[in-house]
Amino acid sequence: MNGGSMVVWLATLWLYAGGAVAAVFLLFGIDRVDGNARGAYLFRPLLAPGVLLLWPLVLWRWWTLEAVSGTSDDAAYDRGRYQAVRAGHARVWSVLAVLVPAVLIGALLMRQPVPDSKGAAVRLDAPAPKQ
Amino acid sequence: MSGQNQTPFFIGYLPIPHGLRLFLVVVSGLLIGGFAALALAIGTAQGNPGTGDFQWGWGPQEVTGRLEIRPYPLLHVTTGSKHIPAGRTLLLSGVGKKGVRPRVAKLDGRLVRLKGFALKRGEIDALQVGDNNKAIVALDGKAPAVKVEPLGRWRLKGEICDGKCLAGAMRPGRGLSHRACANLCLIGGVPPVFVSSAPVDGNDFFVMGDSKGNPLPPEILHHVSVYVSLEGTVERRGNIMVFKVDLSSLKVL
Amino acid sequence: MSVKYSPVQWTQSKLFYDAIALALVVAYVLIYLRVAPTFTGGVPSADGAIVRARAFGTCAFLLLTVILCIGPLARFDRRFLPLLYNRRHLGVITCLVALTHAAYVLNWYFNFSSTPRFEALLTSNTSYGQILGFPFEAFGILALLALLVLAVSSHDFWLSFLTAPVWKLLHYAIYPAYGFLVAHIALGALQSETNATFAVVTGCSVVLVCRLHAAAAIHETRLARTATVSASQEDAWFAVGKLTDFEEGRAQIRLLDTGERVAVFLHEGHLAAIGNACAHQNGPLGEGRILDGCLTCPWHGFQYRLSDGCSPAPFTEKVPTYNLRIDGEVVLVDARMNPLGTKVDPVPLPLVTQGAGA
Repeated sequence: MNGGSMVVWLATLWLYAGGAVAAVFLLFGIDRVDGNARGAYLFRPLLAPGVLLLWPLVLWRWWTLEAVSGTSDDAAYDRGRYQAVRAGHARVWSVLAVLVPAVLIGALLMRQPVPDSKGAAVRLDAPAPKQ
Repeated sequence: MSGQNQTPFFIGYLPIPHGLRLFLVVVSGLLIGGFAALALAIGTAQGNPGTGDFQWGWGPQEVTGRLEIRPYPLLHVTTGSKHIPAGRTLLLSGVGKKGVRPRVAKLDGRLVRLKGFALKRGEIDALQVGDNNKAIVALDGKAPAVKVEPLGRWRLKGEICDGKCLAGAMRPGRGLSHRACANLCLIGGVPPVFVSSAPVDGNDFFVMGDSKGNPLPPEILHHVSVYVSLEGTVERRGNIMVFKVDLSSLKVL
Repeated sequence: MSVKYSPVQWTQSKLFYDAIALALVVAYVLIYLRVAPTFTGGVPSADGAIVRARAFGTCAFLLLTVILCIGPLARFDRRFLPLLYNRRHLGVITCLVALTHAAYVLNWYFNFSSTPRFEALLTSNTSYGQILGFPFEAFGILALLALLVLAVSSHDFWLSFLTAPVWKLLHYAIYPAYGFLVAHIALGALQSETNATFAVVTGCSVVLVCRLHAAAAIHETRLARTATVSASQEDAWFAVGKLTDFEEGRAQIRLLDTGERVAVFLHEGHLAAIGNACAHQNGPLGEGRILDGCLTCPWHGFQYRLSDGCSPAPFTEKVPTYNLRIDGEVVLVDARMNPLGTKVDPVPLPLVTQGAGA
């Protein structure tokens, strides 16, 4: 098995696992962790692709929510909702605002011009005389 | 932002405030107009992929000639068709991204009849040999020898491509954005070709082989679609050029 | 949300928004595929699949450019906020356009071979050690994966389930996705295209997006520097400002050294302090307005009572409240957030100051 088929195989496995998690979560789990989902079914197929791709994240949140539900950690969990990540924007763009133009300019500088036809075909030796 | 305190306050589930409507109409109009203008600018700026194409209009072609498998399978036509006259040399490939070597391995130097669809780009002729058993028929009878004319040792600058896409199976069938496709063709056994920036004896297109005239090693895949200079001997076989390259001479330009 | 979930909560604004977003895509693709060829005067065109891949690919790049400009524009000019309101739908549309591009490429360049298509995509070019001829498809795959993750997690359920900070962090993937897309274009299409038009368009996009985001980042960093307050050693009370700094119906926002922001509103002669991050998407509540007695988020219109930080029934969202007091001319806030739902009576302004304004 080469690297490429290995990646395809792992991706397929990931999606199968996601399918299993999606089935269990969307049929049973979602009602336990989100009151607004109880009795609402139309929107669930819309969540399936998300669970398919992000199932480890889903399992982690599901586990967290089950663990804090009704305990004193509930408040701490809710506090986490207000830790806005706005400050990350400046950090990300201090890198990207330099890197992205550099990639574009670098790639354009590396670009090969079509070789000039002059000197593109040079005879180094005549054919061997016996032929 | 105290200067903006008078800006109408937009709430998604309420009607859009009057003061914002004109602004939003103008922004929407600019966006749609901008996209339309860019579509036209980018759409009309696409490069010319050349004239190569499948010759579906000719219908299936049946040609007879001498088959050669080194460096890559070629057919020197002795009995042609309406569109492919005798004397032409055809680059051979299978249907899709594969070559015909496994199917013709035992027919080197034999007289064969091939059936398939033609590809043509300028002076480049290729035949996509059909998949069925009857597409390749070994004939009895002597295959006439093909004239081989050595043209000496050359240094050429240009690009390595796959012969099938270049001949017109894909348009454009060269360049870096086509590279993965070209590699896939070469992995499948389609003959690699060299497109030189200047002609040798009137030809700027060469079937490639290693210095001994055998197929190229897989390392060549790292240099496909990049402008390189290569040294090797050039010979004319029938009406096709063969460039037997010395891979150690390869330089990226 | 505190009503039952539905696939999409349509509003008139969202319908307009989506109609315009779709009009952008339809206009672009139709003009690219149908109108542009009539201007090229008989020059042979590339394969249909390749032209369509180009049309959808360039369209997705331009849409992503627009998406990335909305945030900083809305920060500098509030009139752009309606464009931010339904940005998620624009993201989903962009993802679908990018998927169409990928499908054309996969079913053309990577088709017709004995190697399965996905495997062919990953194995046909492995020159990762060189710049010229680098497998630029890999950057495209990364960008597409990021767009996919964003699109599939765009429903409000995900915001509530993951919490806004985690969701926001996940959706930060849009930034590297843009970088990957530029690399994908620069090492792919721009290497083989002989006409400079698309290189110029790409360059303009990069300048615009990087310029706007750098400006927003600098603006935000400066604001944070001037507005940051640290709680003193003995107690957590800190000064927000003078009474005269406050304007009716508006807030003063301060960044605490805990990383949280607090918004102190003056409303009908009373001061109230509330967390600045909306429970929905962490939108800046302090930049909102007070409507029908409720603070309304400028992003999606979520509402909260200033007195207890709770959304009016039937909604159940809550944001924290903070205690505050007035010491002479100075307004002081306790940096320790109250437990959610804690009622804090708004503090009336001393009569002398009322109406004095800044």
